[in-house]
Amino acid sequence: MTLLALADVTKSFGGVTAVGGLSFTVRPRHVVGLMGPNGAGKTTIINLISGLLHPDAGTIRLGGQPVTRARPHEIAGGGLARTYQNVRLISGMTALEQVIVGSYLRRGTSLLASILHLPAARAAARATRADAMDLLARVGMADRADTLAETLSYGEQRRIEIARALASQPKLLLLDEPTAGMNAAESAEIGRLVHALRDDGLTVLMVEHNMRLVADFCEHVVVMNFGRKIAEGPPAACIADPAVQEAYFGKQRDAQRHRA
Amino acid sequence: MELFFAQLLNGCALGALYGLFGIGFGLVFATMGILNAAQGAYASWAAIVAMYAIDLLGLPFPVAVLVGILAGGMVAVLVDQIGFEPLRRFGPGLHQAAMLGALITSIAFWIMLESAAGFATGQQSLAFPPGSYPAAVFHAGPMMLPAMQAITLAGLVVVGGGMHWINTRTRFGAAMRAVGWDPVAAGLGGVNARVIVIATAFLSGGISGFAGILSGISTANVSASLGQGLMLKGFAAVVVGGYDDIRGTAIAGLALGVLEVFCAQYLSSSWRDGFAYALLLGFLMLRPRGLFGSAGFTRA
Amino acid sequence: MMDIVEDLWAAYASTLGFAMVNAFFALATYATLSAGILSFGAVTFGAAGGFLGAQMVLHSTVPLPLIFLAAGLAGAVVSLLVAMIFLRLESHWMALASLALVLITRVVVLNTPDLTGGVNGLSIPQPLPLEWLAGLLVVTVGAFYALDRSWYGIAARAVREDTSVATCMGIDPRRIQLIAMGISGFVGGLGGVMMALMLQFVSPDTFFIHVAFTMIAGVVLGGSHHWFGPVLGAAVFTALPTVMQAFIPEMQDIGNGAALLLIMIFLPRGLLDPRAMRLRRARK
Ligand SMILES: Nc1ncnc2c1ncn2[C@@H]1O[C@H](COP(=O)(O)OP(=O)(O)OP(=O)(O)O)[C@@H](O)[C@H]1O
Ligand SMILES: [Mg+2]
Repeated sequence: MTLLALADVTKSFGGVTAVGGLSFTVRPRHVVGLMGPNGAGKTTIINLISGLLHPDAGTIRLGGQPVTRARPHEIAGGGLARTYQNVRLISGMTALEQVIVGSYLRRGTSLLASILHLPAARAAARATRADAMDLLARVGMADRADTLAETLSYGEQRRIEIARALASQPKLLLLDEPTAGMNAAESAEIGRLVHALRDDGLTVLMVEHNMRLVADFCEHVVVMNFGRKIAEGPPAACIADPAVQEAYFGKQRDAQRHRA
Repeated sequence: MELFFAQLLNGCALGALYGLFGIGFGLVFATMGILNAAQGAYASWAAIVAMYAIDLLGLPFPVAVLVGILAGGMVAVLVDQIGFEPLRRFGPGLHQAAMLGALITSIAFWIMLESAAGFATGQQSLAFPPGSYPAAVFHAGPMMLPAMQAITLAGLVVVGGGMHWINTRTRFGAAMRAVGWDPVAAGLGGVNARVIVIATAFLSGGISGFAGILSGISTANVSASLGQGLMLKGFAAVVVGGYDDIRGTAIAGLALGVLEVFCAQYLSSSWRDGFAYALLLGFLMLRPRGLFGSAGFTRA
Repeated sequence: MMDIVEDLWAAYASTLGFAMVNAFFALATYATLSAGILSFGAVTFGAAGGFLGAQMVLHSTVPLPLIFLAAGLAGAVVSLLVAMIFLRLESHWMALASLALVLITRVVVLNTPDLTGGVNGLSIPQPLPLEWLAGLLVVTVGAFYALDRSWYGIAARAVREDTSVATCMGIDPRRIQLIAMGISGFVGGLGGVMMALMLQFVSPDTFFIHVAFTMIAGVVLGGSHHWFGPVLGAAVFTALPTVMQAFIPEMQDIGNGAALLLIMIFLPRGLLDPRAMRLRRARK
């Protein structure tokens, strides 16, 4: 039983092989961590899954359906939502509006009804708004609903982005470094949110550098380096894996040895 | 047959003007992402200044041409620094808001420069004084090559080749592209972004100005609207050739010129612009990245 | 007192009329711009509506409202055909392509004299009642307001600001942009017939590059992020030459250009900017 399956996925940019023959699967209602040093190809994987990039070779399946060549909005329609490594909120919109856009897929009214402001469309809009408020509350941003999102702090923007991704009620959520730039307490907050979401039935694939967080909140980890998988399994075992240690700390050790 | 060769030459000379102008136009578009509506005015002004340099100052032809090119370049720098520089604070040059803003300010400059050019020419169509430019005709078998056509063709080869060289072989070329993509990052990387931008603008204005001067001589028409005709066809050359491709622009310009002359000669003179623009549209549909352009690319 | 009002009206009625006609073109341009397409196509759609409308007035007894409808539909048909080609292009190329379209339009208009009157154009012996013009503009502006509030408006904003983010939220940008082109075509076609009737004359020059540039300038000036911006911008842009004419007649164009330049540099997001309004409100 898998929700997401990558098989031999390869992607190169010019001469750089960002992802080379990567395979892994994600089971439903699991929190899976994707780790790897800078430039390992993690964001490329996220872009490939969400359809912004297409693999040169290999297949990607979402819920059993092949989505290798599908366009991003089709994949989103299939139950995928994501956030970005460098937050990408929509300029000029309030926090609440960001989340409302995120619920585009669940708009529930026809275009004409919406333009003519028919009672049904108004009711749907009210419901969307209420749901969006709930989501903002869930990420702890309810009091900022009417603030222009670009004026908020980085951490706050990240949380709004998560709320926006949740607004489409996805089956699979991709988080690209959701805790970057957050302190330990805020990071743990995100971890708890991810757990709560999983308990509600969501599946999460998250890119995360923070090993504490990965160890505490992920059930399964995939570690990559130079576009290839170097370890996979339970967090503790992966982090202890010599190959992973080498990938993350090898350079530092080399440097220390040089200095010594 | 003689007519055919003569027309082929006419077409090439006309096309060389389009190609030259297009290289100037494409330069700012490719490096800075600016669709510059004022580019035609650079050509008009260069031609007007060169003409007055001969007419009023009595400068010799080559010097007058240089003065005209300088004028074209300086007008371009002026437009860039007043009209585009304030908009660069939006961030990378290819951002939609910045692109739109630059388009509007370039329209403003187009209106102003063309109107001012109207005053400079007394709202008339003037011409370079006869005898002030080389008028010899070279004979090569059945073919005759007027000196101005030779200069125009040579100009395209020299400018096109030179720009291609600058672009691919020099640090300045790399810097121009870097600044175009992200002036902030380029500034941090040790390139003085502002200097590069000014130099790019100057080059672009000078090249389009050169095309304007040559066009003013060959059509015996120096007026405020000189640039507009060049602009429309030069623009077509840029699109057909691929805006970031100098070789493509030069070849496309030549092709458009030949096409135009032959259509007028053998088909229908009123549709001749139509053929050029239809070709343009065809290219956009079939090869949207230009003659030598690679297939589509995605930006995530 | 009444006399003064009447004199003023006589002097400025046509300026007002043209301001409203230009508002249609500005709205047509805004329709595409607000979905992230920089397009000069409204000129072409205007030509379709303008020449069709002129021919209908000249050669049929169809009542005006139906002529307006036909002109709008003609614009929409042309725009959807154009959209099928253009929407495959990347945004920079799309802008260039639409400029090429304007050039091609002129060649086609010049070379189909049976339909367009060729170089000489067509004279139309029917004035445009201003109340019709005003009425239709109000309805159109109302429609833009409603669109802005609708799902379409929200999705279009997302597509415009960040297309790849929008697609990842399930928004199909092509669909949104196709709708935008359709709206632009209809409103542009309407603008075209209004322009024709207002001038009582159409020629290849009626729909050429200067129209394209002035209307895009109008939109940006008024505010390209607000449904009322284009109307405001068109008004300013129509009145500006009249004002300049009154003060500095011989330098009119230079004055226009300078005004446009100053506005762009100091108010790059236009006179009406919802984002700035929100920021101001937030600061209070
Ligand atoms: N659009 C692109 N064009 C060219 N090269 C790219 C592109 N995107 C990524 N790359 C390259 O692919 C490799 C993998 O990049 P990727 O962004 O996936 O790494 P990452 O694991 O997310 O790193 P980080 O931790 O820094 O976010 C890098 O070498 C990068 O330079
Ligand atoms: Mg990354």
